[in-house]
Amino acid sequence: MRMSLRVRLLGTIIGAIVLFFIISVIAARLVLQRDLVDLGKTEVTNSGGAFGGYWDSRKDQIRLLVAQDALSDALRKAVQSNNVSALQDQLSNIARTSGLSFLTIVDENGNVVARANGPERGSLKGNPLIARALTGETVSTAALLDPAFLSGEGLAPQAQSDIKNSDGKVVEHVDKGLALVAAAPISDANERTIGAIYGGILMNHYYDLVDQATRALGGASALLDGNAIVASTIQQPDGTRAVDVLVPNASDVIKSGQAYTGPDTQGGTVYLVRVDPISDDQNTVIGARWYGIPMSRIDDIINHTTLTVLIWGFIAMVLALVLAIPIVQNVSNTLAERSHQVRDAAKELGVIIVGAEVSGDHVAATKAAVEKSGNVIAAVAGGDTNRIGELKSLNDELQSDMIVIDTLSQEMGNRMKQAVDRVEQLNEVAGGLNQLVTGESA
Amino acid sequence: MADVILFFGTNADTMIATKTLKDAGVTAKMIPKPANVSTTSNLCLSIDSGVESQAKTALAGAGVALGGVVK
Repeated sequence: MRMSLRVRLLGTIIGAIVLFFIISVIAARLVLQRDLVDLGKTEVTNSGGAFGGYWDSRKDQIRLLVAQDALSDALRKAVQSNNVSALQDQLSNIARTSGLSFLTIVDENGNVVARANGPERGSLKGNPLIARALTGETVSTAALLDPAFLSGEGLAPQAQSDIKNSDGKVVEHVDKGLALVAAAPISDANERTIGAIYGGILMNHYYDLVDQATRALGGASALLDGNAIVASTIQQPDGTRAVDVLVPNASDVIKSGQAYTGPDTQGGTVYLVRVDPISDDQNTVIGARWYGIPMSRIDDIINHTTLTVLIWGFIAMVLALVLAIPIVQNVSNTLAERSHQVRDAAKELGVIIVGAEVSGDHVAATKAAVEKSGNVIAAVAGGDTNRIGELKSLNDELQSDMIVIDTLSQEMGNRMKQAVDRVEQLNEVAGGLNQLVTGESA
Repeated sequence: MADVILFFGTNADTMIATKTLKDAGVTAKMIPKPANVSTTSNLCLSIDSGVESQAKTALAGAGVALGGVVK
């Protein structure tokens, strides 16, 4: 099927616009995808740092609380007098008002004197933080609390949990507790260490810190005991928090101590996350802070931008066509008009060429008739009177031929005048086409 | 066989018809228009009646409008 120039020009314009927008949309999506993911990585890295700030702030707060309690006259006197009952009441009140999970006082030998969480006694002599506190040092750090200590504080149920993978299968059991702890020496009036105070917050299933971070930073945050989430603001499809689940990407962070930035799926949602390692006072990685923003936020921006480009592209295409159609129409009409002029001129000139050939043939035929007539006249002059009839017939034919030649001559004369006009018309057509193509007058 | 006269609308058509018939191998002689033929053209073609249908076919094929035929 042959298409008209009008269809070809409009098709080319539409094709060029569509091709332009397809390439633009693909390029925009690729560039946006890369740039927004980079921007998202920067955002989660910064927010992960801010989450770390909340973590450090809480650690400092615990250190300050414990250090202040170590200087409390009431506690010191109760320790000196070994008033366990009064100590328990005081520790319980302090822990409750300060939001501490546990607060325990040991004597100078590391034996438990009193606990905020109950009458359980025992020895914490082997606890390296308490050992340091008994030497006069105030320490605070993240720590993994062992099951025996947690049991003594009555915190074992809060820490223990079965960890599931993404399929919901239990893959490990956690019985240690991730905590922020501080220990400080208790001294008598002579600055002699008579014991130590040890307190902290168990982070397993403790949501205050992650909630605070999420309220301030947006996104979602979580704390990992090893590579398992033990507290988070990640919402599952049913609206509950995603806890006691494995974060496969955190395993490398725990092993290498290097932060991870990239995608992670939790609670059925793909997040762009930053996982920062949590180390104890010996620089051993014991857990991690997880901060993420839903990848859908980035995808939404990309899809919105793509849709916007497509809508504006469609509007631009309609506007371009509104402008292009009259121009194409005008060009097509001009070319059609010129084409008619050329065709008419060609037809006219063709008639002249045919006329010239036909005239030539007729003149040749007439010439032959004249020669034949001459021969017959010679024969008649020689006495062959029988050919007079033939001579008359030839003469009639020649008269007819002369009329034809005369008519053809007039016809061709007129045609030649028209030919001159047609040649001028063709020159004008050529000039018009040149102006149409180059924009310059011929 | 008797001659057949073909006539056309204009002298130009008559010339084109002459050329068309020549190319088709039909012998045609250009003659002045007989008095009994009514057309604006001053010229006609005379052909042998035996090639009339061949001539008409050639003219139709070339798109030459035949004004009429006088036998």
